[in-house]
Amino acid sequence: MISEESIKALVGHEFPGGKYTIAHWENFLLTECTGSELMQNNVVHPVALFHVPILGCNTTISELFELGDAHSEASIMIESYDWEMFKPLKEDIPYTANGKITAAERRHNEDGSFYERIQFHFDLADPQGEPTATSTITWYYTKSA
Amino acid sequence: MQAKVGDEIPQWVMESVSAQRMCTMAAILRDPNPLHWDRDKVDSALGIGKRTINQGPLGLSYMINMLHLWAGENCIRKIFMNFPMPLVLDGDRVVAKGEVTSVKDEDQGQLLECHIWLEGDLGTLLDGTATVFVSA
Repeated sequence: MISEESIKALVGHEFPGGKYTIAHWENFLLTECTGSELMQNNVVHPVALFHVPILGCNTTISELFELGDAHSEASIMIESYDWEMFKPLKEDIPYTANGKITAAERRHNEDGSFYERIQFHFDLADPQGEPTATSTITWYYTKSA
Repeated sequence: MQAKVGDEIPQWVMESVSAQRMCTMAAILRDPNPLHWDRDKVDSALGIGKRTINQGPLGLSYMINMLHLWAGENCIRKIFMNFPMPLVLDGDRVVAKGEVTSVKDEDQGQLLECHIWLEGDLGTLLDGTATVFVSA
């Protein structure tokens, strides 16, 4: 069991960062999953703002699970997603991604159980260095007794 | 389009959430969580039957689709989404809904604040806000 101090110490943890390019095939399949038609002019469906910053930072959903010591597949709950879009994402553009943990704390329920609340913040920039989008993900890691 | 406070956004309906699309989404996201692609695992872990659980971003994407059809592609500036009851299962029918809560006139159009949410048989599944720009 990870300690409360270890959870608090996650604040400021930075991911390696890196680049991510969304290929046409990826946007095609991603958009189909949403039940929508492809957007015009090679624009990527905005739902990509979930995974592109994560993978672009050279981390994975698995690693995000591990950072909060997820106990099972059913232990992750979503508090919120907060996405800001300055420019449309486009296919075949190598976006630069940076990210870090901006909040991490243990919270206690009235029944004595507890969960970890962890917030991840990611920035995407285009090849000219212009901000393209931000993504803030806040998850709960519920813990069984 | 000229929007005003109280305008309802035309709803967007997903008639049946697809398990196959969840599988594809899991591959794209590199999401190892089997609750999105293994019906047996869902049943053993949660006891809710053999139906996979839709990824949170997919539920959010239905509201994005609604906003695009209403205000045009690239209209979204910001989205904030809470997940009060995020148990959307394969086969579920869900409906994206929204309404305009504030309007700010700008040189080239209007900046709209919208309340948006996703409804299922159990009530509100996702609930949030969107900032949308519509050209004059």
